[in-house]
Amino acid sequence: MISVSNSTGAAAGIALRLVAAAVGGYGLAYTATAFLSVWLPLARTDRVMFASLASFAVYTGAILYAFAARSPWRACWVLSALCGVLALGAFLPGGFGARP
Amino acid sequence: MSLRQSMAGLHTWAGLLVSWLLFTILFAGSLACFDKELTRWMQPSLHPPAGQPLSADQVRDWLHTRAPDAHAWWMRPPGPREPWWRAGWEPDGGEFQAFQLHAVTGEPLPKSVGGDFFFTLHYDLHAGLNGMYVVAAAAILMLVALISGVIIHRRIFQDFFTLRPQATRQRAWLDAHNVLGVLGLPFHLLMAYTGLAIFVITYMQAGIRVAYQGDAVRFDTEVQRSWEREDIGQPAPPPVSLDGLIVQAQRTWGDGGTAGWISVHHPADAAAVVSIRRRDDSRITDDQRTVSFDAASGALLHVQPPYDPGYRTFAWMTGLHMAQYGGQWVRGLYLLLGLAGCLMLVSGVQLWLAKREARGGLGLGLVRGLNAAVLGGLPLASLALLWANRLLPSGLPGREHWEVRAFLFTWTASIVWAALPLRRDRRTRDQLLLGALLALGLPLLSVVRAPQGHLGVSLARGDWALAGVDLVLLATGAVCALLSRRLGRVQAPAPTPPQRLAEESA
Repeated sequence: MISVSNSTGAAAGIALRLVAAAVGGYGLAYTATAFLSVWLPLARTDRVMFASLASFAVYTGAILYAFAARSPWRACWVLSALCGVLALGAFLPGGFGARP
Repeated sequence: MSLRQSMAGLHTWAGLLVSWLLFTILFAGSLACFDKELTRWMQPSLHPPAGQPLSADQVRDWLHTRAPDAHAWWMRPPGPREPWWRAGWEPDGGEFQAFQLHAVTGEPLPKSVGGDFFFTLHYDLHAGLNGMYVVAAAAILMLVALISGVIIHRRIFQDFFTLRPQATRQRAWLDAHNVLGVLGLPFHLLMAYTGLAIFVITYMQAGIRVAYQGDAVRFDTEVQRSWEREDIGQPAPPPVSLDGLIVQAQRTWGDGGTAGWISVHHPADAAAVVSIRRRDDSRITDDQRTVSFDAASGALLHVQPPYDPGYRTFAWMTGLHMAQYGGQWVRGLYLLLGLAGCLMLVSGVQLWLAKREARGGLGLGLVRGLNAAVLGGLPLASLALLWANRLLPSGLPGREHWEVRAFLFTWTASIVWAALPLRRDRRTRDQLLLGALLALGLPLLSVVRAPQGHLGVSLARGDWALAGVDLVLLATGAVCALLSRRLGRVQAPAPTPPQRLAEESA
């Protein structure tokens, strides 16, 4: 349970989880959309549409994870690592994502 | 800390922080289910049943005299829910000009914000793109609150049948919150998700960036399968009949579909194009299959092919949210479930208060103030808008702005009143009493100000769309009056000492 606590450690932990949820969550939604828009085995319009429509589920899941993770730092690095992997998969193949 | 504990904290805070914003969005969205009926209610000259409506050619002539050089003209024929023409134009580089025309006489109707006011409040809080982002953030937090609510819920089925209104205040609010939350859960999940989906391309550009190198226009054209023809800078020959083109479009669709939006692009040019969109209220997915003609020769230029699966899914989600399918019963259901969502928010905030009143805590005054300002203020302001609509003279310049001012003034007054230490213990009662007066007064006022559309006339005519607005107002007034009386009686005896619950102390 998250409560208004006197302990600065707890407050910092909540602040960290908030950042992980808001920033990390959007980052994960963004990179996941980009990744799926490149790699889904579909036509280009469908890849973009389905990937984009899924992005809110990813964002919601990431926010829930940021508060469920065992520690605030863990939430930060897990989300960052996932973003990194997805971004590599999405932006490295260059023009491949633009196939029709 | 267990998963359920961390989710309980998340649920409490994610829910509380956006409660008042979500209340505004859900309340306005619920009213917007009947935006067209409200618009008609707010236009007394539309109350008597109309005769033979104006033809599309007459509307085009109307547009031609007012904006011969417009970039494009738009019009939408009257339908069962909207017995008036919509017409407008887009000047080159200017702002879109929109009018409502009386279906029979073709006179522009007195300016009024109509039911559109609540529709716009619902999706962007009348704050444009920034408002859309605020609403989107609230919707994401609504998803978070709903899913974390499911996770902390141990006995979703039993709790549904548990309501103890005579129990302690906290227990009663918890039961109410659970029942409303479980009852509306599938609907609220769907609405939050599909609402976000409507503007997905604005919120999430990653796909267009990697698959279209950021070319959003190209993406739009490809997914919507739209078609355009550039102007060629030569004057236009006389156009063929629009009504004839509508018949031809209906023949092309061949499924009994009727014409919705009709546009004429660069009407003064030899390459002018008439596009007719299909209107389909019988399906969730309205694919608006557009047929385009040459405005001068009437030659068929283009028939929009069906959407790809991705965009069809998007259109299905949009259609599910917008509730234009399925008729008045479906919209009535949306209205009730939307209001159930509002009550879920109210009970959630009351639960938060009931718990903290027992043990004291930060922010109690702020939360109580926000309750009075928003949960009471917004419905009162909405009623004030309807009062202004009935009272303002129809010829007043900028009439629609005065309607909005009445809304804003009443809401501001509610906020100021909530901030001042006046009759604080009786605030809710006073607000309910005022709401009852305003709601019950409107059907009476209509007897004087809308002689062809007040309840007596509309009921005698069997005009349920119009009578429905007044009947809902009467019901609202009655409920407010009853609650205000009940609150008066409950508050009379000395309050029982609040009880703390060991369980579910989120």
